[in-house]
This record gives sequence, structure tokens and C-alpha cells, in this order.
Amino acid sequence: MLILDRILGQASEPELAERLHQIGHVGGLELLQVSGDDVQRRRLRLTSDAGTDCAIRLARTQRLSDGAILLLDTERAIMVRTDQPQYLMVRAVDAAGALELGYFAGNMHWSVRFDTDVLAIQIKGEVQDYLDRLTPMIESGKVQVESPCVP
Amino acid sequence: MSVETLSVESRPASKVGAARVGIGGPVGSGKTRLLEQLIPRFIERGTKLAVITNDLTTHEDAERLQQSGLIDPEQVRAVETGACPHTAIREDPTLNIQTADELESLYPGLDLVLIESGGDNLASTFSLDLVDYWLFVIDVAGGDDIPRKQGPGVLHCDLLVVNKFDLAPYVGVDLERMRRESLQARGDRPVLFTNCATGQGVDDVVEAIGQAVLFDQS
Ligand SMILES: Nc1nc2c(ncn2[C@@H]2O[C@H](COP(=O)(O)OP(=O)(O)O)[C@@H](O)[C@H]2O)c(=O)[nH]1
Ligand SMILES: [Mg+2]
Repeated sequence: MLILDRILGQASEPELAERLHQIGHVGGLELLQVSGDDVQRRRLRLTSDAGTDCAIRLARTQRLSDGAILLLDTERAIMVRTDQPQYLMVRAVDAAGALELGYFAGNMHWSVRFDTDVLAIQIKGEVQDYLDRLTPMIESGKVQVESPCVP
Repeated sequence: MSVETLSVESRPASKVGAARVGIGGPVGSGKTRLLEQLIPRFIERGTKLAVITNDLTTHEDAERLQQSGLIDPEQVRAVETGACPHTAIREDPTLNIQTADELESLYPGLDLVLIESGGDNLASTFSLDLVDYWLFVIDVAGGDDIPRKQGPGVLHCDLLVVNKFDLAPYVGVDLERMRRESLQARGDRPVLFTNCATGQGVDDVVEAIGQAVLFDQS
């Protein structure tokens, strides 16, 4: 187990980019895929693409993000990769549908973004779970679902 | 010298705090009883811990723990949640975060802060801003169909604890089926069965928390 307890910087910083490039050439760049939910955590245990068992333990003031560098030495680096959060875009056909959709999404405690007449519902887990819950509203024609996307 | 000109290795590190672990679940499922079983086990293994309880308008759970003799009463704090207990652990966890910060500054060597939510329904979940890892406690007396009801708490928690397994024969619950369906509903993420009246199964809960956020060598 490798304890990683600070974010050293971002891959996009010029000084780091150069070093990461060199480390990449000698095959020392390890990627740590962090899911959309896990990226909020200050502590988690994950295996890198090279098979390293990583234990992340960050200060409350730090936060993981795509490109965060957690380890950097002359021949090896560990970099975080995250997926963009996916959203289910649900369009209300009229004001009545919008009221009902808003009320329902609030009751479900879903994380949402407002985008004019479209409610963007952040997908945590399976998109089917969200579709199942919305079925009555979809079938009655009050809302229309567009495919999941990154807005 | 600005951060940009410091070499990466010499950038200042911020202090890493204690792990924060949430314990949620319906009223009466055994959250406080689980705490009473966890506390001596963590103390025994050398984990320095503090506890926060969330209650509607009383401090009953906090007082029960403070009087238990299991832990220094100063290391138990109550957060009063008012009407909706889930608000204090999810939508606006500020009070809980402040209380945890306070405990950490008073007790700099803390390894772990356990946070019991005020009892709520199957929909309650924890904000990952507040906790690093969270348990959801249900009990077998609630019926073996609970895992199939797909409540967000049951589905999304890091560890599902099915408590009061000793009561299974009295309430006609098939434990094996409950285990199978819990795992199925949770995509094989961990489920543990406990009897917090006696402590059976609680060692596995300690082990799971240790592995996930205290990073025990295994
Ligand atoms: N038989 C049995 N009773 C339990 C168990 N765990 C808790 N209890 C009892 O259930 C009641 C509610 O427990 P408590 O911890 O206060 O629940 P909370 O509301 O979730 O904090 C108490 O009377 C406990 O003694 C268990 O595993 N078996
Ligand atoms: Mg309680």
C-alpha cells in the first residue's frame, strides 16, 4: 500500500508537464482512475493502472481533480484521471410538467442543474435507476428524456 | 517566492486530518448501539476517536455515550438538527463539519471521527464533503424486503450493516436471502450482518473501516 497524502500540483503546470512528459517516456507514469462520486472524497483506496495499491489521504482543504499529481519522483509519477460527470437531460413539456418534475427530483434528492426548460440530473450509478423512477412521468407525456450527456 | 517558483517537492503540505465516517439509517436500527460496540474496539486497537451524534432537538444519544464510560465525555459532541435530520448530513453539513473541525483542533492526534446521523428514512445519504466513508444501518426487523426497496441509503452507502440478526427467527426473516438480495442491489459492494446487542459481527465492521479509511496493512 502506497500512502498518498498531498496533491503536488496539476499536470497542466508547465514545470510539471515537462517532467511528466519525461517520466512518461520511461514508462513511469501511472494513472489512477477516480469515478465521478469518489472524486469528492478526501480518503480512498484505489489501484492504479500499473497495479499499485494506493491509499489517498488528503487534507480537508485539498480536493482531487483530473490531472492532480499525487506522486512525483525522477522515474515515477501518479496522476489522477476522472470521468466528467454524466447528466440525464429531462425536458418538461409545459409549466405543469416542470412543477411536477422539480418537485419529484427534489424529493429524490437528486443533484440537478437548471438549463432553461431542461433539468440536468447528475447520474450517480446506473442511468436506468433514474429512468425507472421517471417512467410514469415519461409515459404520461409530461417530460421527455434526452440521452445522457456531459452538458 | 510564489508557489509557481517553488520546486514541486518543496511545496508546503497541508495537515491531513482524522478520517470521518458517517453512520446513517432509520430510527431504532441500532446506530447508537453500534457506536457503543465500535468505540471500545477502536480504543483497543489504538485508534484515537471522537464521536458526533445528530439528534432532532435533544442530546439523548450524545448523553447516552457520554455516560457510557466507554469514551472521554469531552470527545462526544451533539449536533441539533432541528426538523430534518438528513439536511445536516447532506444538503447543509456545515454544523457537522464545524463540530468535527473543532474536535480535531482540540485533539490534534485524532485518527477517526464517527458521525451518527439523526434517524431518518431509507433515502438519507451522507455528503462526501462531510465524510470519507459511510455506513447505513438497517435491521432485520424492518423486513427482508428492505434491500429490494432500493432506498438510496441502502444502495449508495459504502458499507451496509444489517443489524439485529438475532431477531431473524422472530420476525420470519430469511437471512441468506437478505444477504443475497443486498449484494445484488448493491452491485456486490460490502454488506455485513451484526448483532449489536452482543457485539457479534462488529469486529468485521471495524476491519472494514480500518481497511477503507484508516489504511491498515493487511
Ligand atoms: N435484539 C437486538 N436489539 C438491538 C440490537 N441493536 C440494537 N438493539 C436495540 O434496539 C434499540 C434501538 O437501538 P439504538 O442504538 O438506540 O438505535 P438508533 O436509533 O439507530 O440509534 C435499543 O433498544 C437497542 O438496545 C441487536 O443487534 N439486537
Ligand atoms: Mg441513535
